[in-house]
This record gives sequence, structure tokens and C-alpha cells, in this order.
Amino acid sequence: MKNPGKKLQDELRSMFESISTEGDGENRMTVKCRKEAVITMLSFLKKTGFDHLALISCVDRLNDNVLELVYILSSYGGDVAMQKLNILLKTTIPRENPQFYTATEIFGNASPYERELHELYGILFRGHPRLTPLFLEREYDIPPFRKDFDTRKYVKDVFDQIPFVDDKKGRT
Amino acid sequence: MTKKSGKMDRNNIGKWFKSPGNMGQKYSLHALYFCTGCGIIEIPPTITTRWDAERFGVIPVATPRQANLFLITGYVSVKTLRYIIRSYEQMPEPKYTVGFGSCPINGGMYWDSYNTIKHLDKYIPVDGWIAGCMPRPEAVFVAVTHLWTLIDKGMATGYLKYREHYAKYRRNQEKILGELEWPPLFSKEEENEKSREKVAG
Ligand code: SF4
Repeated sequence: MKNPGKKLQDELRSMFESISTEGDGENRMTVKCRKEAVITMLSFLKKTGFDHLALISCVDRLNDNVLELVYILSSYGGDVAMQKLNILLKTTIPRENPQFYTATEIFGNASPYERELHELYGILFRGHPRLTPLFLEREYDIPPFRKDFDTRKYVKDVFDQIPFVDDKKGRT
Repeated sequence: MTKKSGKMDRNNIGKWFKSPGNMGQKYSLHALYFCTGCGIIEIPPTITTRWDAERFGVIPVATPRQANLFLITGYVSVKTLRYIIRSYEQMPEPKYTVGFGSCPINGGMYWDSYNTIKHLDKYIPVDGWIAGCMPRPEAVFVAVTHLWTLIDKGMATGYLKYREHYAKYRRNQEKILGELEWPPLFSKEEENEKSREKVAG
């Protein structure tokens, strides 16, 4: 297979409606789709040979009032050209009360990524087996990776409010 | 360092015998191998053959129960702080803390982060700081030799400060971490402290 990206693009277009695909000609292909199609698309891509979910990340697009989820897939099983190809599967979900379906049924390793996004962006992944805190120790009003979280104000209100322990005797 | 400030030198043997306790503490610093932040990258070359910290009597140990030097090697997140406090309280006295890098001093490049405590000395006492992002291994030795001077002069008294102001430290710790799951190390005797101040004043 000389150019797996091209073939895959055609295949995806024929299978899914209203998606946009765009390859950079080399080793990255961006697929944008509606959120309903993501789970089907993931399982389709997994069957096609993209059997490795490298990362799920999220972009907070404050101006468009959406959160963009990015699933990055790569292949261990296919031929060499396929192994070089990374797929960025993007979808958007609304910012208010963000909810989505878990991908853990398809890729087991989606679990920690989804926990991370749940914690840092406040996305609720339905059907996730264990959506418990992963990194954070404190509670935040707004999930801290959202763009409207004002870190400077938070620092002023929390960490800067702690007094120094001053020592009258002037010891170091 | 000048000779006066306690270089390891035969001429100093006479002086060592004046306060053998200090000498023992100075030349056998057991550093707790506790990794936090990026600065820990500098510690393996520091303690192994390239820079060989054992020349200065510093060796890493695995458990806080055997350590008396605590190097905080970088930014401290809220989660790490909990374990820093736990480890610090387990170390036997006398114990010395050195903040390594800009981050424990005032937050460094994480000064406006949502999850990094800025000033480590609000939560545990710190005897010395090494500035830099990140400091080179040589800076660890400069810090160690400075620590010797402080020990000689009886100024490395962070652990006494911790005893004395335990109530304040514990209050700060609880403000950030919420209820701590271990009992107080010393009594929270803030009242005594106040009355003592009154008597002194
Ligand atoms: S001072 Fe620099 S090297 Fe050290 S923990 Fe902070 S950012 Fe990392």
C-alpha cells in the first residue's frame, strides 16, 4: 500500500457522512467528525489496523464555546507505511455541562486519559468504569485546565494567603 | 571556602574535638533520596562517580528514618507536599532541609500555577536555598559546605524552629491539604507559645 492515507480517506468518506479529512501528505491525518460518529469511527479504525490509542487530549476553544476532543491513533500491526501514519480524530462537544461516551470498551487504555480529562476539563465520560480523581489533591470551582480558569487569581486567593512562619529570634 | 569556615583539613582536627557532635553531623549527611520536580535529574550524577558526593560525606539513603538531609529538588505540587511533610516528620533530629532550585523558593517558573505551592518555607522550615533553574551539581557542594558552616555556628536550627512553631506550621499545612491523616508530631501548643511570648515581653 503506497499511500494508506489516501485510501483510508476515500474509505472513511464513503462510510461516514459529514466528516472532513485532511492529510498533510506524510504521516499525519486529521479527521473531523460529528460527535455521534466518534465511537463507531474508533472501532472502525481499530479494525482497519490502527490498534494503538496514543492519547486523548482536549482543547478548550473558548471563542467557539466548545471543547475539542482529540483522539490520536497509530498502528503497530499494519505495514510500514501504515505504521508511520498517525490519525488525529477530532470532535467537538459543548462547553456547558460537557458529556461524552467513554472509549474504554474499544481501547482499554483510554481509561486514564479520560480520568485526566474529567479532572482537568470537567468532562463526564458516561460508562467509564472508574471516574475517580487521578492527579489533583484539591477541589477547584472551575476545572483548572479550562481557559477561563484564572490561575493568577487562584494563586493570590489560595497560596498567597498562607502566612509565613516568622521567627522572632531571627533564625534562618 | 576559607579554612576558617570548616574545610575538611587536618589542621581542623583540634577544632573538631571541641564539638565532636557538630563534627559528626557535619561530615555524615545522609540525604533522603526523595525525587520531586526536574531537579532530581542532577542528583544521580551528584552522588555517583562523576561528582561523587561522598567526598563531602553526603550519601543518599532510602528511608527518612535514616536520613538527616532533605533536598527538595524542585517544584512542589500539593500532592507532593503531603509526602514531603510526612517524610520530614519521620526524619530523626537533627535534620536539615535544603531547597534545591528556584521553584521551592518562590514558585520559580510555576509561580502562577494552579497546583504548585510557592513558598516551601511556609510548610516546613528550610535551612538553606540553592538558587538556579536548575542548579548544577557543584552548587550542591557549595550548599553542603555552607551547611557545614551553619552547623558549626549553630545556625542550622530549622528542626528546632519546627518544634517551636509547630502549631503555625501545622495550621498552614492543614489550610492547603485539608485534614491531615496523621496525628500531630508535637502538641499544638500555640497557647503556651503565646504565654511564653507574654512572659518574655
Ligand atoms: S527550578 Fe527549574 S529545574 Fe528546578 S524544578 Fe523548577 S523549573 Fe524545574
